[in-house]
Amino acid sequence: MNCRDCLENLDRYVDRELTDDELSEVKRHLADCPPCDDLYLLQVNLKRLVKVCCDQGEAPQHLRSKLRQILF
Amino acid sequence: MVMVAEHAAETDARNRFAEEAIGYLDTLYRGALRLTRDPAQAEDLVQDTYVRALRYQSSYQVGTNMKAWLFAIMRNLFWDRFKGGRPEDVSLDGDGEFALYDTLKDPTAMPEADVLDRIAADEVVRAVEKLPELHREVVLLVDVEGFSYKDAAEVLGVPIGTVMSRLHRARRQLQRSLHEYAEESGIVHAREEGA
Repeated sequence: MNCRDCLENLDRYVDRELTDDELSEVKRHLADCPPCDDLYLLQVNLKRLVKVCCDQGEAPQHLRSKLRQILF
Repeated sequence: MVMVAEHAAETDARNRFAEEAIGYLDTLYRGALRLTRDPAQAEDLVQDTYVRALRYQSSYQVGTNMKAWLFAIMRNLFWDRFKGGRPEDVSLDGDGEFALYDTLKDPTAMPEADVLDRIAADEVVRAVEKLPELHREVVLLVDVEGFSYKDAAEVLGVPIGTVMSRLHRARRQLQRSLHEYAEESGIVHAREEGA
């Protein structure tokens, strides 16, 4: 696998959407290619950061009460 | 007696459905907040989502992905109510499916991984909320909610390739926004002109 192929698979690698064979090829390339590995780390950290930052906060209590009245 | 038993079974089914659905309230509300960027509108959107879910309860197949089903309802309502119709224009997807190598071969345009740790959570949320809606909703589904490409494609009603290209562009833009922020706030130094 060359850098181009690796980068084209990077999103799917980060998102765990590759087949086992594709996954091990990307993994092998990353182990041997520091620039691609840097990009991988950046992507995976960005994904984690977006998840952590956007996944905070609860629905207001009055909304919950209103919905319970509607639903039950 | 039979009718009473049937009625009780229906009530049971409805309560089970309602209980499962309300279990997704916080996550739907957060998604609504990211989509509308306004707490009052987010509440309206979530409430309308549940009302519609209740009305179309019979179309939900027990044992399938309720979270995806609810997100699909909410996302369609969002476009219908707030954006005047569901998007068919895919011009944002622009230049072909994948130009990954071209867009990534300039790594100097991106913040380094450890810089990300020093960026405030508010700033990340702001960067997500600045994305065009078509890109923002993909990031919400895949990165925040952890949907597979396939499930995200079903929620959005687009092919998987479209999910991938939108996601890729969204991430590039996020990287750019956060890098700009990091430069402005002095977390990283801007490269000098001509340097």
